[in-house]
Amino acid sequence: MNIFYLLPALTLITITFGLPIIRYFWISFHASSLLTGLEYIPNYGSNWLRIIGDDRFWRDTIQTLRFTGVSVSIELIIAILIALLLNQKLRGRGVIRAISFLPWALPTAVMALGWRWIFNSPYGPIDQLLNLFGFASLNILSEPRLSWIGTVLADVWKTSPFISLILLAGLQTIPNDLYEAFILEGGTKRQAFFRITLPLLEPYILVSLLFRVAQAFGVFDLIQVMTGGGPAGSTESLAGYAYLNAMRFLDFGYSATIIVFSFIVLILVCLIGWITISNSKRILSS
Amino acid sequence: MKRLNIYILILLIWSLLPFLWQLVTSFSTTEAILEPFSFTGNHWTLDNYSQLLTANPPFWQYLINSTIVGCSSTFITLVLAIPAAYSLSKSNTKTQSLFKIIFLATALFPYVLLFLALLELARYFDLGNNLFALALPYAGLSLPIAILLLLSAFNDLPKDIEEAAKIEGMNLVQLLRWILIPLIAPATASTALIIFIFSWNEYPIALTWISQSDKLTLPVAIARIAGSSVYSVPYGAYAAATVLGSIPLILLVLIFQKGIVSGLTQGAVKG
Repeated sequence: MNIFYLLPALTLITITFGLPIIRYFWISFHASSLLTGLEYIPNYGSNWLRIIGDDRFWRDTIQTLRFTGVSVSIELIIAILIALLLNQKLRGRGVIRAISFLPWALPTAVMALGWRWIFNSPYGPIDQLLNLFGFASLNILSEPRLSWIGTVLADVWKTSPFISLILLAGLQTIPNDLYEAFILEGGTKRQAFFRITLPLLEPYILVSLLFRVAQAFGVFDLIQVMTGGGPAGSTESLAGYAYLNAMRFLDFGYSATIIVFSFIVLILVCLIGWITISNSKRILSS
Repeated sequence: MKRLNIYILILLIWSLLPFLWQLVTSFSTTEAILEPFSFTGNHWTLDNYSQLLTANPPFWQYLINSTIVGCSSTFITLVLAIPAAYSLSKSNTKTQSLFKIIFLATALFPYVLLFLALLELARYFDLGNNLFALALPYAGLSLPIAILLLLSAFNDLPKDIEEAAKIEGMNLVQLLRWILIPLIAPATASTALIIFIFSWNEYPIALTWISQSDKLTLPVAIARIAGSSVYSVPYGAYAAATVLGSIPLILLVLIFQKGIVSGLTQGAVKG
């Protein structure tokens, strides 16, 4: 292997991923805000003590986990349905596929605004239609108990195509003979889905889940543009809180601590997910 | 067969409806925007579009900015990723799987969380408000997935081709230029498309790196149009901006949809 071909790429990757992560750990043990004149002054872990007692941080952690869990689960189910549908022999399949991938290709920040307009009260189409038929406005994005559902819906719309893309490729690797043989043996289509399709899709499902959980956990654009974290902080994500601390409160030390803590939570979530999946497999196969 | 068509119809409506609503809004007069389901009076207008194109800076400036960032980050990524993927494909299985794990882990990383440190770098090296500089973090963020996709394309190539070329006396540059790059062109095209779409759509880093209004990229500019007032978002103009900003992406996806499916999935999943 010629290391010189690899070196430029590795350097840039290290600068964009490696350095920031090390830097965050370092900053998280320093105070750097307007009070310190944006100088980095060691504060020996007081950021870390502060985060443990910060109710807003824990509320955002729970909100981020809820958003991730609910939207990724719904996305997976919808994506399986879309992928199965797109794998059929259809007329105009190319165009149909392109249209169904479109939500994934459009800018999140832009379509988040589109969704904000759809949920707008009273001028958005949802509330207009409700009013037209004599119902009260839902006003989803101004109602702290409903607003997160609005963000989940927008996220499901935006990213289900991404998962279905990966699953579709998985479906294409399954040879048709398998199904034919299964049907000949007297199996039904439904059984074929659970005995052939789902087990063979498993690696694809796991990869897309891994991708989506990590992305959803870092959700920023969508929430920032749709609700700005509101109402009453009910949709604020960890990335949004870190952004707020850095860019609005100019408290870089604390922002970096939130980010490092988010890494740790994300790694824990992935580990727990991994252990649960491998355990349930062992139980199912025994 | 009938039932299948109904499902397809539901899928198409679900995928298009939010965008179509923008399209309708973008051609609506202010009164029509406030009462979208009453079709009395003057409903349709081109004002929203003309307002965008005569604004200062005019809207096409953002399209150009995003195109510059998109093309340069795609170019940088490919120039770095192709040799890297090639040399990895020549290395032994152990090295390869080690790097695959590293790249997969970095590709999975929620990059939004990097914004603060990247902003520090931008300040330190004075890279703010520079579209070409913005392409650097975009390339860095795209490299892991790009290398993974290209690596699997190189691994799929038959070994004999290269040996034949060596017997012909080609050196490595010739080999890459005349044999390998044409052979991995489909995978390269779909990788390029994915990087381009990412760079075109990226929001948090563009938001923190660029503040000069004539250098904004499209998503930031559109979010800024909408954020000009919290209480009365100019939805007509905003919707028109969405439509104009989406047209290039719609065209790209329509043209390359076949390549996206095969290219994206081949590498990402095997990795």
